[in-house]
Amino acid sequence: MSKVVGIDLGTTNSLVAYVGKDGPLVIRDGSGDGLLPSIVSLGANDVVYVGREAQRRLLTEPLRTVYSVKRFMGRGSDDVRDEARLFPFRLRGEAGGVVRVGLGDREFTPPEISAFILRELKRRAEEHFQEQGEFDFEVDRAVITVPAYFNDAQRTATRDAGRIAGLEVLRIINEPTAASLAYGLDQRKTGTIAVYDFGGGTFDISILRVEGGVFQVLATNGDTHLGGDDIDQLMVALVTREMGAGMGAADPSPARLQAIRQAVIQAKWDLSERADTEIRVTEPGGGDAGAPMFRRSLSRDEFERIIRPVVERTLGPCRLAMADAGLEPAQIDEAVLVGGSTRIPLVRRSVQELFGRPPHTGLNPDEVVALGAAIQAHIMVSGSRDMLLLDVTPLSLGIETMGGAMSKIILRNSTIPASGTEMFTTFVDNQTAVDIHVLQGERELVSDNRSLARFKLRGIPPMPAGLPRIQVRFQIDANGILSVGARELRTAIEQTIEVKPSYGLTDEEVERMLLESFEHAEADVEARFLIEVRNEAETVLRATEKSLRNPDLAVAATTDLAPGELAAIESALADLRSVMESNNRAVIEQKTRVLNDVTRHLAEVMMNRGVRAALTGRNVNGI
Amino acid sequence: MSSEARTLTLQSCRHCGAGAPAQVHFCPQCDRILTLARHGDYFSFFGLPRKLTIDLADLEQRFRALSRQFHPDYFYNASTPERLASLERSSYLNDAFRVLKQPLDRAEYLLKVEGLPSVGRHQDAKELPAGVLEEVFALNEELDDIRAAREAGATPDQLMARLDAARRPVEERAARQEAQLEALFSRWDRQVDEKSSPDVRRATLESLRDLIQERSYIANLIAAVNRERGES
Repeated sequence: MSKVVGIDLGTTNSLVAYVGKDGPLVIRDGSGDGLLPSIVSLGANDVVYVGREAQRRLLTEPLRTVYSVKRFMGRGSDDVRDEARLFPFRLRGEAGGVVRVGLGDREFTPPEISAFILRELKRRAEEHFQEQGEFDFEVDRAVITVPAYFNDAQRTATRDAGRIAGLEVLRIINEPTAASLAYGLDQRKTGTIAVYDFGGGTFDISILRVEGGVFQVLATNGDTHLGGDDIDQLMVALVTREMGAGMGAADPSPARLQAIRQAVIQAKWDLSERADTEIRVTEPGGGDAGAPMFRRSLSRDEFERIIRPVVERTLGPCRLAMADAGLEPAQIDEAVLVGGSTRIPLVRRSVQELFGRPPHTGLNPDEVVALGAAIQAHIMVSGSRDMLLLDVTPLSLGIETMGGAMSKIILRNSTIPASGTEMFTTFVDNQTAVDIHVLQGERELVSDNRSLARFKLRGIPPMPAGLPRIQVRFQIDANGILSVGARELRTAIEQTIEVKPSYGLTDEEVERMLLESFEHAEADVEARFLIEVRNEAETVLRATEKSLRNPDLAVAATTDLAPGELAAIESALADLRSVMESNNRAVIEQKTRVLNDVTRHLAEVMMNRGVRAALTGRNVNGI
Repeated sequence: MSSEARTLTLQSCRHCGAGAPAQVHFCPQCDRILTLARHGDYFSFFGLPRKLTIDLADLEQRFRALSRQFHPDYFYNASTPERLASLERSSYLNDAFRVLKQPLDRAEYLLKVEGLPSVGRHQDAKELPAGVLEEVFALNEELDDIRAAREAGATPDQLMARLDAARRPVEERAARQEAQLEALFSRWDRQVDEKSSPDVRRATLESLRDLIQERSYIANLIAAVNRERGES
């Protein structure tokens, strides 16, 4: 039997997991990494790079490398005009049409970019199953997760991405709900839980009732454009502002912008573990590669002051979701954290204040969504009925009425599948068609809501005005995706409906993209080996750099390290860095080994200090 | 039509052709999920009599049990007609649960399936009983006066005191309506148990409809007073 997997298609990272004999498991790459950076880069001869290799190319090929593509799923080119200037890659597309991402001289829609990521995960999973000695290791079906607050267009775009990648999408499920499945599997209890999911680009809050294996979402809310990205952008703005003041470089090149972005992300990570760090930006390429460009110390207090507005934007949706669920914070039995941004101490404190209890942090916030998706995939193909997810539609669905107002047909937070009907008639004698505009959102006016599609009801039998009674039925399926059917009740004639999605792809376009996707070569076997060696090298580089940035280092160097040891490490680090761009696999491997050996003692020293600090109950930074 | 007659309505299995009562979800002969019949109602779908008092914990229990029987997640490998039946039954179940768990939605739904014209949408002041009508006029006049007083520079304290005084009789009426509603729910349920004559039951439903109409009028008034309070 071919295999099914669960996929977390994230803004920053994506993961693939499956349910094996011993339970759900994240599938890792050769260097043990479960996270695949959601980055795609187009090389020479249209070779496509995905993941770590593409991440490296952010610095060298910023115009041919795209990240955070999830932000553009299901959106129109008009929607993203303001956002486009924040990204080094080009965003275009005709007015009123789907967004297109320009890479080199090619253009791709967001579902096509996402399909490259999905194909890489599919390949990773197939390799894993092959190594396990599975006879039929093909992965052809998947459950894919989306933010709970994704609208119909964004969900449809995600399903299209799966189809373009050659996957049958068993189900689109919501990320917080998936997380609750993985969480509930461990806990097996009854109660009300709040899942606070703050990821790279999106924020969701879901309130669930868990009882007898049924995970019933009571209410959900969120913001599909609020995440760690926003924190990074604030920090990038800070650095460019300060650099501009000192160096006259207010408008950095795309490559420098990427170097700044990576440096501030590193500092953000550091501050989840320490009270102080340093932002260190180096020249990304050219003759000065590696030369220091900008340095600045940053304390956690200052960082928290800068990012507080972003964190506070998550609290409004939490209160709305609780109001919709009819619950007070005291009635929440447990708060569960999901998404990398929940590692930030300020985020944890805010959640604790809101719900009046420390949040549950026992699960890896990066992996829990993929594990839940794998469990859902398993439920669907195994016939197991131990667990059941009952999710809701996050946004009300309605149609445009006279005067540009929206009339709601299915209310937000309705359990899905859900349906609603609306009666239509004609205004002119012998009218045979009626236009219907379908919308999603909570506002009164059509123009404030999301346009999903325009339908033309055709084939209405000619009758005097007002006589036909056309019943239009809106059906939201278990994926949260809409379909529409219509009947004229007097004649019982089924109507033909032409669907023109406002910001989506037609079936024909998806088919064509599926065919075209096979034309894009993936990097060949030799290139893959090189990529794996570079990934390994990168892991060692990062670990070393992290130790070198540790404020404890100065003390450790004088007490625990041999004279010259630090200099040897720095020289090995520079050596490895200088060959990272080369295509010589053996050289990179050798320099990685050298750096690994020369830093072994340092790693032990730092770890011992950490253990000592923990044993004496003091903060590492206080020693 | 009486509620007993409805439960006799048959649906038929599209797969094997066997007949089944309207309130069952799977074919008694071949065990396949049945295509949703057009004859049943939300009450019979849950296996409940058409009564207005519902034990919410029991309703939730039934909702979860039924979800487990025909959620689309469990029909992924089934034939196309069965998948469609699972989708339709799940949608109907979710819609039914949403309506039955709210007492007022439940009552309005009962009125609809018992054949009384819909309520709540376009109430006309003329249809209200005289006592209510007087109260409405008096309150609206008082609200106009209060607005005028605000224009004339009355202090928020003065305005609040008048608004509170104006709100009191309306709130008392709202409380009386809640009690009446409860009494009508019980009366209807008793008449169902006692198999009272259609005319007697019809009279109860008409009282229920009038009360719901009055109630929504009073609710709008309270909302209007609260809006004024927000501005004062």
